[in-house]
Amino acid sequence: MITLNDLTPKEKPQWCPGCGDFGIVMAVKTALSELNISPQDTVIATGIGCSGKSCHYVNTYGFESLHGRSVPCASAIKLANHRLTVIAQGGDGDGYGIGMQHFMHVMRRNYDMTYLVHDNQIYGLTTGQASPTSMKGMKSKSTPHGVIEVPFNPIATAITSGATYVARGFAGDMKHLTELVKGAITHKGFALVDIFQPCITFNKLNTFQWFQQRVYKLEDSGHDPKNKDVALAKAFEQEKTNYERLPIGLFYKEERPTYESQLPQLKDKPLVEQDISNIDLSKAYEDFE
Amino acid sequence: MAELTWKIGGQAGEGAMVTGRTLGKAFTRGGLNVIGYPEYPSLIRGGHNTYQVRVSDEKIYSPTQKTDLIVALNKDAVVFHKDKISENGGIIYDEAIDISAIQFRPDIKKYPIPFAKIIAELKALPQMKNTITLGATLALIDYSFEKIASVLTDEFKRKGDEVVRQNVAVAKAGFDYVKANFKSGEFQKKIKPVSDKRKLLIGGNEAAGFGAIKGGLKLFASYPMTPASTLMHFIAEKEEEFSIVMKHTEDEIAAMNYAVAAGFVGVRSMCSTSGGGFALKVEALGFAAISESPVVVYLCQRPGPSTCMPTWTEQADLKFAVSASQGEFLRVILAPGDVEESFALSAKALNLAEKYQIPVIIMSDKFLGETHFSADHFDESQLRIERGKIAKNLPAIKPGERFKRYMFTKDGVSPRPLPGEPNGMHVCSSYEHDETGFSSESFTNRVKMVQKRAKKLKAVLEELDPPKVFGVEDPEISIICWGSQKLPALDALRILDDSGVKASVIHFSSVFPLDPKKVRSLLKMCRRTIVLENNFTGQFASLLKEYVSFKPNYKMLKYDGRQFFAEQIAEEVKKLKDSNWKGKKEIHVMEEEDFEYYTPSKYHL
Repeated sequence: MITLNDLTPKEKPQWCPGCGDFGIVMAVKTALSELNISPQDTVIATGIGCSGKSCHYVNTYGFESLHGRSVPCASAIKLANHRLTVIAQGGDGDGYGIGMQHFMHVMRRNYDMTYLVHDNQIYGLTTGQASPTSMKGMKSKSTPHGVIEVPFNPIATAITSGATYVARGFAGDMKHLTELVKGAITHKGFALVDIFQPCITFNKLNTFQWFQQRVYKLEDSGHDPKNKDVALAKAFEQEKTNYERLPIGLFYKEERPTYESQLPQLKDKPLVEQDISNIDLSKAYEDFE
Repeated sequence: MAELTWKIGGQAGEGAMVTGRTLGKAFTRGGLNVIGYPEYPSLIRGGHNTYQVRVSDEKIYSPTQKTDLIVALNKDAVVFHKDKISENGGIIYDEAIDISAIQFRPDIKKYPIPFAKIIAELKALPQMKNTITLGATLALIDYSFEKIASVLTDEFKRKGDEVVRQNVAVAKAGFDYVKANFKSGEFQKKIKPVSDKRKLLIGGNEAAGFGAIKGGLKLFASYPMTPASTLMHFIAEKEEEFSIVMKHTEDEIAAMNYAVAAGFVGVRSMCSTSGGGFALKVEALGFAAISESPVVVYLCQRPGPSTCMPTWTEQADLKFAVSASQGEFLRVILAPGDVEESFALSAKALNLAEKYQIPVIIMSDKFLGETHFSADHFDESQLRIERGKIAKNLPAIKPGERFKRYMFTKDGVSPRPLPGEPNGMHVCSSYEHDETGFSSESFTNRVKMVQKRAKKLKAVLEELDPPKVFGVEDPEISIICWGSQKLPALDALRILDDSGVKASVIHFSSVFPLDPKKVRSLLKMCRRTIVLENNFTGQFASLLKEYVSFKPNYKMLKYDGRQFFAEQIAEEVKKLKDSNWKGKKEIHVMEEEDFEYYTPSKYHL
């Protein structure tokens, strides 16, 4: 059995006391432990930001990549060894700002991987600038006169862009979040869990209390995650209610073959296990003769 | 020495390239040496395209300025190329082209052919007119028709017997028309097959692909960019045969991050691009360096900066590659000088990247990458896979502990467990880190880590090929070059030899890092040196100065979008000698001819 202890490195997480990131790391460890997935067969690939440090606090293989690049890195890790459990983690600035192009395309591909977005609606590690999910009007160091844009809606985008498991969690509800992460890991395909993760230092607007007053669980309202139209309507509920009601839980789920399952090159074994010592070129020369 | 230079010209989309390559193959199937050189604008239709085939029964290296036989598919081609026809050369053209107002030198032989009539008689497709010219060409040079028939058969067999039959019939009609209507022997250049041994006709990019496959390539991530794309196409075509995953990613940044991450997992990985794409990959190049993840980037240069002239050639990205990314770190830059080196160095790059856990850049360019060269099957006897310190069967670690992936070692290379390996958990990080990969901002650790990574230099220098020297003993002038410009330089040696100049070529295929002692001692022995570079500033000369403390006597530079021609190199070197070596220290070479491949219409043809 994989215990929480097996997954806990000796270094203590270095986040602001009360940060939502603690809850996310605990949810990941709990999910891996309850699913009995071995740390050596798991890679957590992160971007850069407060969220990027997550791979240090779960004792699996970690890949702390560049700002915005957790998704392409996780994609290649899956292609290189599809037997690994691959989890990408990043923030809203990291994934929906500088890394947005990767997010859009990874959903079309449907690699079997999990993508956890620590969505705190602010750039934290750079000390508080508005992010793609900041609410209109929010004042920050980069928007002292208020954000003019409307916020990016990751859930609606994911549902319409090919993601096969689209969920939203709340770092203030660890138990619920753990179930969503478990669902994401066991789902065969690309799974997004966008996580409301209050930044207690720089986001004075979207606080734990603010979320607690607004979130409700989709499963309690009898939502059917197989119904794409309803899922999309639910995804827009935040705008429709002027952010008064924020559904969390599994919005949408469908079964679609993964990218890697459609590659004959990976049928027998993962790329990393294939023998490279004696490659015979002779047949390939014929095209050039 | 029997030799012929042939060139076909027409609009983009008219099939000049394919026709040229087909003729080239007809020659390599006769055991001959061939250079197939394409020139084309950044357009899909319109503009002007050419493909030059140089064939010889002796070893040749590069295209020539002059052409013996032109095939003009349109009027642009007649006007653009007639003055570069060699003495007693000829021109094959569609008799429908009105040439009445065009002045020709009297020695040029004209071969008008009724394309439309032949096509109509055979009920063939209009685009098969190019195939008529193949037959016509072979009739003029008395080459075996059977060779072109065999190439056409192989090229079209996928489309069915009828297509094959029609193409061969069209070529034969061109052949017969020339035999019936023009005096045999009037065109003096004749080419004969020398053996039945088939050679390859292959571009530098494809040769690099063969090398990479042989070197164990498993994941190739790329975004299309001329002139690198033919490598991507080749790998894509072969991915199932060799069990490689070729991923065309959403952008250049993703491609590089794919390659670095696959390297971390233990899969040999590579991406290909040109200068603009490389600029986007630079951040991840530094990531590969600090995280000590193996990666190979194939950088096929074209002129810059920015979009510039996408389908032409230059060697102006060297100093960019040498210093690309913030921070200081070891990277290896290999620059193949021919298809054989493109093959060998790609395999070697994958070894070096994995053995030393560093980024390796292969620098080719449009000239070497897209020109086709005859070659034998590549020599694989020297190649073996070297994977370096992959750590397996690790001792148990205590709960909460991580493996020391970045362990300080004597040679700077640390053992590397691959994900999946029990007891090997660590963080592979873009941050400065301690031995386990955990972020560290300790001054002592930082200094030790910088030094650890830099330590690899010593062993890496031992692995790199020393410069190769060609030409006479005790030369009066030594031509120093790197990468693709070896090819015209070697052809220039022959011309110089004929005109009594004793010259040598010193070619660098490993351009960075340079071994100061070895390189200096070699170059110090030269009486005079001239650095030959396809750029404006002499970037390699600058590296020699900075890293080897060597200053060449002269620089010969060219940056008009074309590589050097051997004739140009020889002429400038002769001029230097004629000046008693007191000529200009910096020689800028450009084409005498000028035409506009992008918009030939501005000539009102």
